[in-house]
Amino acid sequence: MLKSFVKYGRLIPLPILLFIFGIATLPFSSGIDATWKSLSIDIGIHLILVVIASFFLEWRIRRYPTKVLATAHATLLAFISAILLFVIADLFLCTLIFNDKIYLAHIDDTESMRLIMSWLCLGWVAHITVLRKHQDDNQKEIELHQHAVISLREAELFRLRQQLQPHFLYNSLNSINALIQLDPEKAQEMVGKLSDFLRLSVKRDVEESINIQEELNYIESYLAIESVRFGNRLKIESVQSGEDWEKAKIPAFILQPILENAIKFGLYGNTGEVVIKININLRDKLLHVHIENPFDATTQPPRGTGFGLEGISRRLTIIFARADLLEIKKQDNIFSTIVKIPQ
Amino acid sequence: MYKVIVIDDEPLARSLIIKLLQSYPNFEVVDECPDGFEAFKSIQKHNPDLLFLDIQMPRINGFELLEMLDKPPAVIFTTAFDEYALKAFEIHAVDYLLKPVTRERFDKAIQKCQHQALSNNIEAVSNLIEDQVYEGYQHRIVVKDRGNIRIIPAEEIHYIEANDDYVKIVTKEGSFLKKNTLTNIEKILDPNLFVRVHRSYLMPISQLQSIEPYEKNSHIALLHCGMKISVSQAGMTRLKSLLRL
Repeated sequence: MLKSFVKYGRLIPLPILLFIFGIATLPFSSGIDATWKSLSIDIGIHLILVVIASFFLEWRIRRYPTKVLATAHATLLAFISAILLFVIADLFLCTLIFNDKIYLAHIDDTESMRLIMSWLCLGWVAHITVLRKHQDDNQKEIELHQHAVISLREAELFRLRQQLQPHFLYNSLNSINALIQLDPEKAQEMVGKLSDFLRLSVKRDVEESINIQEELNYIESYLAIESVRFGNRLKIESVQSGEDWEKAKIPAFILQPILENAIKFGLYGNTGEVVIKININLRDKLLHVHIENPFDATTQPPRGTGFGLEGISRRLTIIFARADLLEIKKQDNIFSTIVKIPQ
Repeated sequence: MYKVIVIDDEPLARSLIIKLLQSYPNFEVVDECPDGFEAFKSIQKHNPDLLFLDIQMPRINGFELLEMLDKPPAVIFTTAFDEYALKAFEIHAVDYLLKPVTRERFDKAIQKCQHQALSNNIEAVSNLIEDQVYEGYQHRIVVKDRGNIRIIPAEEIHYIEANDDYVKIVTKEGSFLKKNTLTNIEKILDPNLFVRVHRSYLMPISQLQSIEPYEKNSHIALLHCGMKISVSQAGMTRLKSLLRL
């Protein structure tokens, strides 16, 4: 508060100076012979009180939460402060210069002038403060907007990364690199599979819900590449059941990251053959996708490399406003991920 | 003649390196391994001069493998992850090949090998663990156990004791020595779970059964496993703040 007062205080001294000037010239305009002592006490008290009142106004106005009726609020505050200032100044003066009868009579005569002057002064201060506050708020809004733009851009980047998955791409290219030397025909096949996968990735939108059959095709193209990369070690078993399961819809980029997770957990935990089971069934208006992979508790893969189950859980919560759609189970060296998608 | 072992979990990635190495008759591939465990055995058997090492692999990763070796051979990392490059050079790796590996880049790496003597390239391996290779804390410690590699999950640790240049990790299956300092180990384990109760002791908070006063300014912690370990004054403060006493 003090900082902003210092920052915007440059405009405040003007009304205060005018006000003090007004108080100081009052005795002269009414033609009385005021003693220097009484006059300086009068000025001093008003100066102290008007500065305190300005601080008070600044503090109250800055804490006013909205723009609605902000000016009215400030005006009212200025009015109340002016009355308070007037009353308190009067009290002080009556006690401090009780023996200067002439000056006291002069104060009584100029009561209305004093009240109007303090109201004008504090009203001015209050309005400067309101204007400054509005300016600050606008500035904040602009910054907020900029933040929003940045986070939007980040979300977009995330999408791109999800679509392209650089590590997956680099590793696949490395496999192709090897195949070009060892088995050019297989290399060609792999290029085809990789292009299929990329094409399907780039086409989709994060927000879009897609048909489960379409998602399975996408996953198949992904698994085809993984099978080439890891050779015979990777086996996938997929079972679907339930009426009309193929008509079910699922948000994009949910299943593939879970499967990627399962493959990595499976492959990193074992050196032998790894069987990943995918079970899809539709019941009670819920599409259940159950993905199972072998898992070794002692050899968890290093984290922080795209094992984004938390991210998926967050997305499901945002899309369906339910927090119970992703379930994870670890039992007897089997890791299961269960996703439920309301239809 | 340099003896080479190629370590990568993807068969095609290994084939590529082996194929590329064929143009260099003074490099002989003595073995290829799909994971760190096999690599560990193979390295002890063949005593190679150079490793082509992937970082992300099954069971234990490339860095963990190097940590287990008393005299690590020279290393060329091969990985799709550029995040580890800095780390790799910190431990004086000969080179860091990013996948997809190209002939041109590969040749440069081999030239580097031929220009520098391949022995004792890796100096700072024991400090490897000190800096965090992963994001966050580790949930396991990899140790050598009679010529084999053993992975100890953090929750199975009873306590860890400093022992000269080594630390003694005590679990219900026995105790294991690892060449490292207690301070380094303390850094990589989750401070919400492990507390340094004494200059020589690090213990998981879950193992604590009771604390008894012992002499002036010191205490004794009784663990669930029955072991009693000393708690220093500073250790007591840390223990208290962790237990919110």
